[in-house]
Amino acid sequence: MIELSHVSKRFGDEAAVDDISLQVPKGKFCALVGTSGCGKSTTLRMINRLIEHSEGDIILDGQAIDAYDPVKLRRRIGYVIQHTGLFPHWTVARNIGLVPRLLKWSATDVQYRVAELMHLLGLPVDEFGHKYPHQLSGGQAQRVGVARALAADPDILLMDEPFGALDPITREKLQDELAKLQARLHKTVVFVTHDMDEALKLADHLVVMRKGQIVQQGSPLALLQNPSDPFVESMLGGLERGLKQAALTRVKDHMTSMGPTLPAQSRIPGVFSLRQALSMMLRDHCDRLTVVDQHDMPVGELSLRRIIKEAQLDNGNTRE
Amino acid sequence: METRVNNSLSVAQPHTKAPQWLWPLMWGALLLGSVTVMSAAEPLFRWIEPDARQVIYERTELYVLLGRHLFVVGIAAVVTIIVGVAAGIAVTRRWGSDFLPLVAQLASLGQTFPPVAVLALAVPVLGFGTLPIIVALMLYGLLPIVRNTLAGLQGVEDDIKTAAHAMGMTPRQILRQVELPLAAPVILAGIRTSVTINIATAALGATVGASNLGDPIISGIVNGNMAYVAQGALTIALLALTIDSLFEVLQRQLRTCFSAS
Amino acid sequence: MTLMDALPTPRLRWEGRHPNIVLVSFSCIMLAAFWVFDVVSMAPNRIVLGTGHGALEAFGWPGALLVTLLLACIGILAWQPSHRHYRALLAAVVFIMALMPVGLMASSYLLIDPELPQARLGIGAAYWLVLFVLLLCLVELRLRLNLTRIWPTLLLCGVALVWWLCAAFGLGALALVQEFRARDQQFLSAVGQHIKLVSIAVSVSIVLGLALAMLMRRYARLQKGAFAVLNFLQTIPSLALFGLLLAPLAWLAANVPFLGQLGVSGIGTTPALIALIAYSLLPIVRNTYTALEQVSPDTLEAAKGMGMRAGQRFWQVRLPLALPVLLEGVRITTVQAVGLTAVAALIGAGGLGTFIFQGLGQAAMDMVLLGALPILMMALVVDAGLGALAEALRPGGTR
Repeated sequence: MIELSHVSKRFGDEAAVDDISLQVPKGKFCALVGTSGCGKSTTLRMINRLIEHSEGDIILDGQAIDAYDPVKLRRRIGYVIQHTGLFPHWTVARNIGLVPRLLKWSATDVQYRVAELMHLLGLPVDEFGHKYPHQLSGGQAQRVGVARALAADPDILLMDEPFGALDPITREKLQDELAKLQARLHKTVVFVTHDMDEALKLADHLVVMRKGQIVQQGSPLALLQNPSDPFVESMLGGLERGLKQAALTRVKDHMTSMGPTLPAQSRIPGVFSLRQALSMMLRDHCDRLTVVDQHDMPVGELSLRRIIKEAQLDNGNTRE
Repeated sequence: METRVNNSLSVAQPHTKAPQWLWPLMWGALLLGSVTVMSAAEPLFRWIEPDARQVIYERTELYVLLGRHLFVVGIAAVVTIIVGVAAGIAVTRRWGSDFLPLVAQLASLGQTFPPVAVLALAVPVLGFGTLPIIVALMLYGLLPIVRNTLAGLQGVEDDIKTAAHAMGMTPRQILRQVELPLAAPVILAGIRTSVTINIATAALGATVGASNLGDPIISGIVNGNMAYVAQGALTIALLALTIDSLFEVLQRQLRTCFSAS
Repeated sequence: MTLMDALPTPRLRWEGRHPNIVLVSFSCIMLAAFWVFDVVSMAPNRIVLGTGHGALEAFGWPGALLVTLLLACIGILAWQPSHRHYRALLAAVVFIMALMPVGLMASSYLLIDPELPQARLGIGAAYWLVLFVLLLCLVELRLRLNLTRIWPTLLLCGVALVWWLCAAFGLGALALVQEFRARDQQFLSAVGQHIKLVSIAVSVSIVLGLALAMLMRRYARLQKGAFAVLNFLQTIPSLALFGLLLAPLAWLAANVPFLGQLGVSGIGTTPALIALIAYSLLPIVRNTYTALEQVSPDTLEAAKGMGMRAGQRFWQVRLPLALPVLLEGVRITTVQAVGLTAVAALIGAGGLGTFIFQGLGQAAMDMVLLGALPILMMALVVDAGLGALAEALRPGGTR
């Protein structure tokens, strides 16, 4: 549990972060989104005391972070940055084992943990363990960065635009893997990004920042349905907002049971999103899809009218 | 710090071994040969200086002069390395950062101060002999080391330092395990410049009464005996080449540790 | 994210109310030096070694107190730095420097017995130390106030003028002044000779160096060999190279009458110039070569893509971009040549080194100073001047 209440940071007279309050419950994924210079990275760095906050309280598991020794605090918080920050003179294995060694784990424990993490992140130990960072591709290096952050099994993970420097395909792949990892590990994550799609895809809780202040926060769906001002709306993609919202809703949550009519030709797995369903309708020139389960067995159907009605219903719900 | 660097070295390159030691060994052997059996080359020097009464410098054995030369350069090098690296580290820490602009500015002066002038200014304070030349060499050799230490430490990427910090390394651990190993090649290059230049500069000590390999040169100039000058010059040049090639090997070892990306 | 996040903490914390430790500690060092070391020394004549005198004897109570106050004032002003305080500090430092010869006048009045016309005043360790630290203060203040190099240079020129006036009219007892008066013609011609040697050597090596660097760019094979030779030359001590040139040149002068008529001889200017040029070539060639090579290939490709011809690309793109590094080479070379020319005095080439080596030979330290101080100043002036020029010529303004 991370709690920020009325936190500010001033550099000289300028406020980089201005009176923000925010709660990240244990095991939740919180994304800070905003344009460059909006104070989102500063907010992140205040949590592990890379930057000391000027005012307000930051509370970690019920205790103000000022009460922790900064070095010990940082050892129990994982941290991932955009350009990985891997030590170029250390092998991959040694980089990953850094924090456990700092915590004076025994050599065999460290070795075991490194192997475990490399396996978890899909980096075969035999192939990558002895490589140096400059021998890795961008995606591989960032996996090592994530593994290093997870090494001492911290409860909290701070990620500062971790996928910002990667090409779109690698980025998407790593996003998927991170989502899977989070579903397994349930870390409390604070994730900084300027890519709204990334945030919508990964976050449980979305915080939009501008000029050091929080403009709006809430669940991704709530923000999409009800942006508080034009800035948030433009961040959420303006006209594309409807599609983004559809991307967050799964087909199987909105399908209807099979009707008396003949099943539609096009089939869509229930775990796909409404956005993918819409795309499929456009592609196949139809207004009905058959929903199938993982064994490709029909379990229901989804019509265009249904999708549009659902969107209206959701809007109506949130307004109440 | 050195041991750590060597540790990572042994992992990095088990394959390169023999050929890189070839040059220092060769120059070293030539150097030893020249200081021990210079007299064997008497016919050659006789050809240079046919009229002189004596063509081989014999006032002091060359290897004794070589020892003194090495002593002077060595003392100066040890002191400058310790002081220079320490100063470079100090001003890049947060508590010393007030001094950073000034020290960086001074270090950029590099070798502006002419060694002769520094030597001349040291003599009134320290008297004649070995001390003034050691002091002059220290002053002359200090700035390149400070400059390169600064460049090396500042060249470590901010991302890497931030990451080290965020992983919970103490400032001391960051310095010893991250910053110094990464800056080592640049610092070593500074030390190489400083020491190589000082080997040649130390010969000036002979003008203020410090006995070293500059002796045959001065005595040759004074007596118009080119053979003496050549013997002194040859020995110093061989010494410089030996030390320089040793540094070359050291630098290459550091570089293979991780290719500078 | 932007700069703000890239910096872990604001770098220049002094902008807050925190004291400027640099200037405060300099102030303490100067105070300590002033009270611990000898301020001046006094000798009844040229031969006898002088006896040292501390602050009290040299300046008397009022003078010593005044100096103490002035030096402490630097520390006090620096305790709470602000733009105004830094300006005041700059004024104070310059004022103290200008006051230094007045202090010497005071001590010559207090210490020198008018009965002894030969008596001479030496400048003590404290004086040198304070002067050195004041110069450091000036550098620090220049950086803090973000001044260009011009300002401190102008201020120092003013200070030098004051010193010169004092030396000319009120400091007859100062040993350095006496040494100068005893051989002022010789001194001026030595300075002239020094400048002449340096400028000839540097200009010849610039021409040769540029040509060599161009050739290296054309014939890649030349590059390795030429650098090996030039590097090897640098390892030979200057002393030795000067010495080694004596014999062959003497032989040439004796056996080739034409060269003899040209003024070539084994001793003197010719070997000195050859050695100086040989040493100067390496920094020039190295910097010219890297300067021309380091120009970004993207820029050159863009120039090519815009339809510039090879000549246009060289003169309008490559050379202007290479100029600062090239000038850096000229700066290094010139500074090095100023120092090396001093050594050339040993083979009779003249110049300021003559005073150094004569002085060392006679154990007359004031004479050594007469040679060494101008060399040091010349090196610093060349360094600052060419440095400023390179800065001004940097494409896209200063950085």
